[in-house]
Amino acid sequence: MNADDRDLLHVEFCGMPFDSPIVLLSGCVGFGEEYTRVAGFSNSEVGAICLKGTTGENRLGNQPHRVYETPGGMLNSIGLQNPGARYVVDNILPKLDFSETRFIANVSGSTVEEYVEVTRIFDDSNIDAIELNISCPNVKEGGAAFGNDPDMSARVVAAVRAATRKPLITKLSPNQTDIAENARRCIESGTDGFAVINTLMGMAIDIEQRAPILGNNQGGLSGPAIKPVALLKTHQVHQVARKHGIPIIGQGGVTNANDALEFIIAGASAVGVGTALFYDPLVCESINSGIADYLRRHQLSSIAQLVGTLELNSAISACDVCVE
Amino acid sequence: MSNESKPHRGTIHVESAKILSHERFPGDQFVLRVAAPECAAKALPGSFVHLRTDPMLRMRRPLSIMRVSATEGWVDMLYKVVGEGTRLLSARQEGETLSMMGPIGKPFVAHPERPRALLLGGGVGIPPMVFLAEHLRRTGGFDPLVLMGSEVPFPFRARPSEIIVPGVPDGVIAAMPLMEDWNIASRLASLQGYPGVFEGYITDLARAWLKALSEEQRTQVEIFACGPHPMLAATAMLAREFSLPCQVSLEEFMACAVGGCAGCVVEVQEDNGPAMRRVCVDGPVFDASRVFV
Ligand SMILES: Cc1cc2nc3c(=O)[nH]c(=O)nc-3n(C[C@H](O)[C@H](O)[C@H](O)COP(=O)(O)OP(=O)(O)OC[C@H]3O[C@@H](n4cnc5c(N)ncnc54)[C@H](O)[C@@H]3O)c2cc1C
Ligand SMILES: Cc1cc2nc3c(=O)[nH]c(=O)nc-3n(C[C@H](O)[C@H](O)[C@H](O)COP(=O)(O)O)c2cc1C
Ligand code: FES
Repeated sequence: MNADDRDLLHVEFCGMPFDSPIVLLSGCVGFGEEYTRVAGFSNSEVGAICLKGTTGENRLGNQPHRVYETPGGMLNSIGLQNPGARYVVDNILPKLDFSETRFIANVSGSTVEEYVEVTRIFDDSNIDAIELNISCPNVKEGGAAFGNDPDMSARVVAAVRAATRKPLITKLSPNQTDIAENARRCIESGTDGFAVINTLMGMAIDIEQRAPILGNNQGGLSGPAIKPVALLKTHQVHQVARKHGIPIIGQGGVTNANDALEFIIAGASAVGVGTALFYDPLVCESINSGIADYLRRHQLSSIAQLVGTLELNSAISACDVCVE
Repeated sequence: MSNESKPHRGTIHVESAKILSHERFPGDQFVLRVAAPECAAKALPGSFVHLRTDPMLRMRRPLSIMRVSATEGWVDMLYKVVGEGTRLLSARQEGETLSMMGPIGKPFVAHPERPRALLLGGGVGIPPMVFLAEHLRRTGGFDPLVLMGSEVPFPFRARPSEIIVPGVPDGVIAAMPLMEDWNIASRLASLQGYPGVFEGYITDLARAWLKALSEEQRTQVEIFACGPHPMLAATAMLAREFSLPCQVSLEEFMACAVGGCAGCVVEVQEDNGPAMRRVCVDGPVFDASRVFV
């Protein structure tokens, strides 16, 4: 990133300085160091990195196959494979270079108590923020079960809020009826930010075997195929969140600067990149420079000036986007 | 923090690899040579690449490296068309470029105290065995035997061997020409009744050879294998039968191929219990006794 771009691309997110609006997404980049294997890739190209979903105890995760390409995207059912929060804090965080970027823990669990326990463990570490994953579609108990029910979401957020003073980002599921209402409840319970959206549930079938391809039968759909859904959800959550000054990491299918700009215009202050790394591990560089070029072209001096600047057509009122 | 404490950094290169040649063989098999100097310079036997087979198909496909020339900067792969990605790849022409990441993965490691390396390659598991054979020849001090199995015609024109291999049934003389050129013993196995080819499983041919060795010679054997899962399972059993160390290269569906997604795991038995290990960066080469228990 050159110095000019760096000035333009700087964003403040929940009080954290990000060098770029790009956030590398949980589950796509392991525990922060994996992509640095790629020559030319640097963690300092991105504003923050969300670590893999972490639970109280270590988890082996689901049986293979765990990933499968589908038109315009992919399915995954990893099942939150992770070594447990204690191990992450004691053995992984000390090896991360916090001078390169911000690191965000992705907290998962099966019970409210587990979310709280994991959050406490991270609270007592140098992690920069907590992302609350109440939307994981790939584990039997917990995850999405919390995220799809506004009462449950509110309970988890309130409990975790009491357990940490670090910035708290709640990751919302698209697999629910009224995401805006859920967002409202999470704000009441003390969330500082949102991540919108996690994957959509899906399935792929092997017609010869007449069996699902994924070991877990179903998985989460990510990639360009979900971008239109993610944009609408980001817009809907922004309608609620902006009144409280609560920022959003918009995500779902971002593969280039134009995609990222769409999310920012829809209301995202930062933009997640996950699946696109699998296509092109060096994609962040071009997203950064593409965003910077756009800002220059539109004579904007910061990303903040662009966030939520979407002008809806008059036929549709801001908080009542019709389905049909 | 310096990069010296992070030796993994910058080890996988993304190259715009120009297709230098693309040769078709019977059974929908292709040998692809691309210009990829960074990958060629660093690849080791067992390394693989992750490539964009076609601009229209966004997820990459993993393929083993068969041969490299560090000096000329090319990388060879052998693949079989099995689905959409490999079908699109097979249509790519000389002169076009492919986005290719590599080299990836932990390689095979041969041990000088076990110079009788037994290399077993089944189907599209042949490529890493060719690479390993060439590597052992360069290293020197090894006396490898390469056995290859295929149920479609072999992707080369077999030639009668001039190297004697103990224990091999009479008439089993077909060998891979490249191995003959390198003065490395090789034999072929198939159930298809190809001339000069052992009719049966590659592991049965291997067993015949092992039985023909003296006890002392057998202590110098180490097995390396790549191929379909049942073949690897049989190889692991063979290794157990003769108490031999055995390394196998595994396959699993992949997304990132850099260790980021945990999509490509296999179950491995470790000292403190079962673990899920990533084929892309913890493998693709694993100790067979940890995988097939
Ligand atoms: C480390 C490694 C090395 C490999 N080396 C070779 C090689 O040298 N030559 C060769 O012909 N093949 C090799 N394979 C298998 C090759 O990757 C698959 O045949 C290929 O991905 C199939 O893609 P497709 O789109 O044509 O098939 P489809 O069946 O349409 O693929 C659908 C999806 O499943 C995945 N998939 C299907 N079969 C496999 C498989 N066996 N392994 C991994 N992913 C699979 C594909 O990548 C794709 O994402 C290797 C696999 C791995 C993991
Ligand atoms: C392989 C894989 C693993 C994931 N694991 C997690 C996880 O552990 N926790 C989580 O909150 N989201 C997880 N996600 C969801 C992503 O963080 C992201 O929200 C989603 O993929 C949409 O973005 P994308 O289209 O850019 O990938 C995972 C996604 C993928 C593809
Ligand atoms: S393919 Fe992502 S970890 Fe191996």
